[in-house]
Order: sequence, then C-alpha cells, then structure tokens
Amino acid sequence: MSVFRHRRFRWVGEIVRVDLPPDDQELLRTVLPQLREMLMAADDPALRRLSPPARADDDDAEAAYREMVDGDLLVQRLEAIEIVEEGIDGVDLDEAGITAWMQSLNALRLVLAGRLDIDILGNDPLEDLDDDDPRMPIAAVYEWLGFLLGSLVDEAMNGFDD
Amino acid sequence: MTAPIATPDIDVDESVSLDHPWKVVVWDDPVNLMTYVTFVFRKVFGYSKAKADQLMMQVHIEGRAVVSSGNKEKAELDVFRLHEHGLWATMEQDA
Repeated sequence: MSVFRHRRFRWVGEIVRVDLPPDDQELLRTVLPQLREMLMAADDPALRRLSPPARADDDDAEAAYREMVDGDLLVQRLEAIEIVEEGIDGVDLDEAGITAWMQSLNALRLVLAGRLDIDILGNDPLEDLDDDDPRMPIAAVYEWLGFLLGSLVDEAMNGFDD
Repeated sequence: MTAPIATPDIDVDESVSLDHPWKVVVWDDPVNLMTYVTFVFRKVFGYSKAKADQLMMQVHIEGRAVVSSGNKEKAELDVFRLHEHGLWATMEQDA
C-alpha cells in the first residue's frame, strides 16, 4: 500500500479540506521554518528563483522595480507560510487559504530546485541522481512537494466554473 | 524619437495599442508543474480553461508566451502576482 494513496486534499463544496498524514505534517513543520529563515536572511542564492528579474533588459528599471515590490513580496510570503503552519494538522481552505498553500509549497519547491541544480540535472532528480548522492534526501522532499502541490491543484481546479 | 506603430504582420492576440505598450511574458522553467501554471493563469487573469491551457502549452513548447498586456502599472502588478506564485515572469515594452 502506497502512502501516496492517502487523500490529502479534497474539494468539499466551496473549500478544500486538508488531511495530511503524520509524516507529511512533520516534514512541513521542519521545512517551513527553514524557508522563513531563508527569506528573512535574504542572502541564499537558492532564493533567486523566487524573485526573478522583471526587467531583464534594463538594470536601472529592474532596481527600481525591486525597490518597489521586494518588501511586499516578503511580507506576503511570510504571511502565506504562517497560514500553512496554522493548518498543518487539518483545516478547511477558502480561496485565500488555497492560494497561501499553493504559493508556499511552490516556493519550497523552487528553493529546493536551486539546491538540486534542477536546471542542469533535469526535473526527475530521484531518477537522475546516483543512489549515494548526498542530495538524495533533498530530491525526495522535492518530489514529495510536487506530489502535494499537484494534488492540491487538482482539487482546487473544481473551484472554477468550467 | 517615436516608437513605430504596430507592424502589419503582428498576431491579433499579440497586438497592443499605443496606450498599452507593455507585455507580460512568462518563461518556461523545469520546476513549475504544468497544472499549477494553468491554475495560476486562470486565477490571476480569469482566463478560461482553454485559454489558460493554451498559454501554458505555449510556454512549455515555445519557451515563452505573452500572457497579458497593458500600461506599465498593470504590467508591474501582473508580474508581481505571477512572482508571488513563483512563475518566471518579465515585462517588456514593444520596440
């Protein structure tokens, strides 16, 4: 029996009900505070993918844009993390909650992708890394987060009319 | 100097008026899930499933797609919302 069969997210009327197995809960309680610390420290290259340049062609315009949005982006990300942390042991997500969960799960994936050099490695690190590669545990968490986010997206799609 | 007016061979979908000279572009990346990208397009822009799917596939296959256009403030807001969701978005002005 696969742990992946556990139904973690379920569309119920207008909300998504979250029901995570204990291992998932523990993992999220481990990685979310790490993401928060990284965001606050703001000096980890793996964060770059979370704030890609908006104006790739114009350094001055890019600096002005960053000045304008970076504070808001950080506040929004920290709030989203907090919303997820409050619901780890079970919660009904409204639209704002769904957004916070998706953004946080995806932010974790993006940061881990930086750690794994996904751009070079390819998007199937569990397959592509050697068994004794020290990054294997990160790869496992990365894949798990993809499964989690994909499950949530599939359920939340029910919220659209067509 | 004056910016040239839209060239005749431009796609209808990609045409922009002089009042709306900015385009928001989403780039392909190996991390974001295809279903998630579709979801974000639907949510942020209110696009139909068909339109969001088509844009997502365009990003996936061609490497980039123009997902919205408008004045500078609108483009900045769209890029911000896409960045919030972790998508790789940039904005550019028509030459």
